[in-house]
Amino acid sequence: MARHPRKLFCGSPEHNFSRRGFLGGATALVGIGAGLETLRRPAMAEELKKKQKHVILLWLAGGASQLETWDPKPGRPTGGPFRSIQTSSPGIQISELMPKMASRMQETAIIRSLNTKIGDHGGGSILMHLGRRDEPNLSYPDMGSVLARELGQADSAVPDYVTFYTATEGRGNAVGRPGFLGARYAPMFLTTSNKPEDIERIEGLSEIDHKERADLRKLFSDRFTRGRESAPVLDSHNVAYRRVHGLMASDKLFDVTEEPEKMQASYGPTLFGQQCLIARRLAEAGTPFVKVSRAWWDSHGQNFETHLELVTELDHVMSTLLEDLKQRGLLESTLVITLAEFGRTPTINGSLGRDHFANAWSASLSGCGIKGGSVFGKTDEDGQTVADGEIGAAEMFATIYKALGIDPHKDYYVGARPIPLTDPGTKAVDEVLS
Amino acid sequence: MMAHVDPTTLKITREISREDILLSVAHSGDASRVFVGSSDARIYELDTTAEKPEPQVMEGHQSYVSGLVQTGTQLISGSFDGTLIWWDLETREQIRVVDAHQKWIRQIAISPDGSLVASVADDMVCRVWKTGRGKLVHELRGHAEKTPHHFPSMLYACGFSADGQFLATADRTGKAIIWDVRKGRQLASVEAPVMYTWDPKQRIHSIGGARSVAFSPDNSLLAIGGTGSINNIDHLEALSRVEIFDWEKGERTHEFAGDTYKGLVEQLVFHPENQWLLAAGGDHNGFIKFYDLNEKKIIKQDKAPMHVHDLAMNEAHDTIYAAGHGRLVIWQMESDAPATEGDQESEEETPENNA
Repeated sequence: MARHPRKLFCGSPEHNFSRRGFLGGATALVGIGAGLETLRRPAMAEELKKKQKHVILLWLAGGASQLETWDPKPGRPTGGPFRSIQTSSPGIQISELMPKMASRMQETAIIRSLNTKIGDHGGGSILMHLGRRDEPNLSYPDMGSVLARELGQADSAVPDYVTFYTATEGRGNAVGRPGFLGARYAPMFLTTSNKPEDIERIEGLSEIDHKERADLRKLFSDRFTRGRESAPVLDSHNVAYRRVHGLMASDKLFDVTEEPEKMQASYGPTLFGQQCLIARRLAEAGTPFVKVSRAWWDSHGQNFETHLELVTELDHVMSTLLEDLKQRGLLESTLVITLAEFGRTPTINGSLGRDHFANAWSASLSGCGIKGGSVFGKTDEDGQTVADGEIGAAEMFATIYKALGIDPHKDYYVGARPIPLTDPGTKAVDEVLS
Repeated sequence: MMAHVDPTTLKITREISREDILLSVAHSGDASRVFVGSSDARIYELDTTAEKPEPQVMEGHQSYVSGLVQTGTQLISGSFDGTLIWWDLETREQIRVVDAHQKWIRQIAISPDGSLVASVADDMVCRVWKTGRGKLVHELRGHAEKTPHHFPSMLYACGFSADGQFLATADRTGKAIIWDVRKGRQLASVEAPVMYTWDPKQRIHSIGGARSVAFSPDNSLLAIGGTGSINNIDHLEALSRVEIFDWEKGERTHEFAGDTYKGLVEQLVFHPENQWLLAAGGDHNGFIKFYDLNEKKIIKQDKAPMHVHDLAMNEAHDTIYAAGHGRLVIWQMESDAPATEGDQESEEETPENNA
């Protein structure tokens, strides 16, 4: 019987996902957990889990232009050639490139006042994944790992954190790290394929054999456990095996052909569309956090052509995703976010491009916990500075956590050191929360 | 016979700096009346002979003014707002507004006799209009609305042949179609796919396109301008590119892949007697080039002070008015005096010429 070769997803050790790696991480969790006592309130956690909240992050890698999406400045020298259009929410206008989102603005809040100050891809990306500046002596978890921990279930049969990043440009900046939370909350990182490549049954092992092996393992395990019910290592071992079996059974979640053709067509033919459909399938099955990275928006030249392509796609796919979630009764429990490492300069360069710009840019929040049809913050008439309601990455993260019912000020502990979810003094943007 | 215009003598004689982006230019034959179309949705009339030109403003469009042509006492403008506007040049008043396209008008071109104006837009339709009353003559459909990778395509360029029989249009994917103007029917198509870069792996979107077209004076050749295949599509980093086609045979006869300047060839102009082919455009910077199609070589190339979006020439083809990013530039070239048949004979007989 040939052994199925072990494949890496992107060549990066921290991004590899395998059963063996997963088991190692899951088993190690017991040890990590001992040093990582949190102040989680069991009642609150249970409540969260009952509600089965999910997050789908649409990561616009490379930096989408706020002027061609959520904060148009038509008629200004910086405004570019696209017009703004009225949305379904009175008083709110967005770029004409987003007519489908404009028609369902009542589900979405716009934040137009991000000033995150870091204008390089690497630094900006770390900041907008961690919600804070990195620290040399402590590895912070990214948003996905935090939410996998906060919203996931220990005995879940589906992955807690899945991230898609198919384009190669900027992939190294796509932070997906559990940091001090440990490998249990590492992402399943999909790059070259929309499906995990090594969770299928090995060739030559029938489904019956596979089940019988599991039953036999359980029999031995139960016999060994008898009289040792409080042994945490054994519990963890069993949980890990249950999760692996669940993951192996979840490969169909990554297969869009399991969806009716009409549904597949509704998301459109692009890779981004397919990945957002998989994200919905994962959320529906219970995965708490999915990041779909759409790269690459770094339009130093020909910004308007690039955005004509990419925003048109974003508008279609995002509006389809929201409608799909709504039809399934999932939108109230699913937060859909658009975010990037920064926005783009209001000034149009000689190549009709826009460059990196972190001083005044936009993000959006739709669905779970969000006051739809709201706008927070304001930029000046040319979009060069934040005129009102300036926030940074920490406030953005606090708002996301609060929308999901998570206390942004709760502490994790690394040893005796309390690590708050967001930096002390950070306030969520309550104006966009329902 | 026209005078010989020598591109090697090319020099800038005037630069007028602007705050806006100039996307189009038209020239009346009088240097005191140059019209430019702006990113601020206005048209400005500039007296380029004045020390400090005071622009005369013409307002009516709602977005970038991407095309300007002049016919008699009228100016016709096209815009990203999808409209064509006819203007009276004496009063600077609007004569007519036509909702011409559903999407951005990328370029307009006037037939050599001034009777027709063609407009191309991102609705992927070329429309041909009577200049006199603005009546629609033809809707020319043949360019696909989507690229092969499912994104919206763009129809960038159009140009009439010197005798007005033919019209060429060119799109994002590098496809050019040649149309019979009288019948409004497609005659042929040629493709310059290198000008369209689809990046399926690193960035998963596209850049480029065929941005300019021009017929040779005898109609036999079609020049298409754009850029070469781009590795990093964040920038216009490939060398500019011109491909020449014998369009009736559907054969590419030559390609100028560029050797110095990067970016898009935004405009192409044949000298009326085929002395040279002029190309201009740019990336962050700009360039201007002259090709000798007989020798298949570059006669002259130079850096432009800005990315050139459009240009117009005087009748003698020795003066270039170029509109671009933040400025209007005037180049001039030296030319021999117009020669008549008699002059040629007398010149040949002089001892100096014989020597």
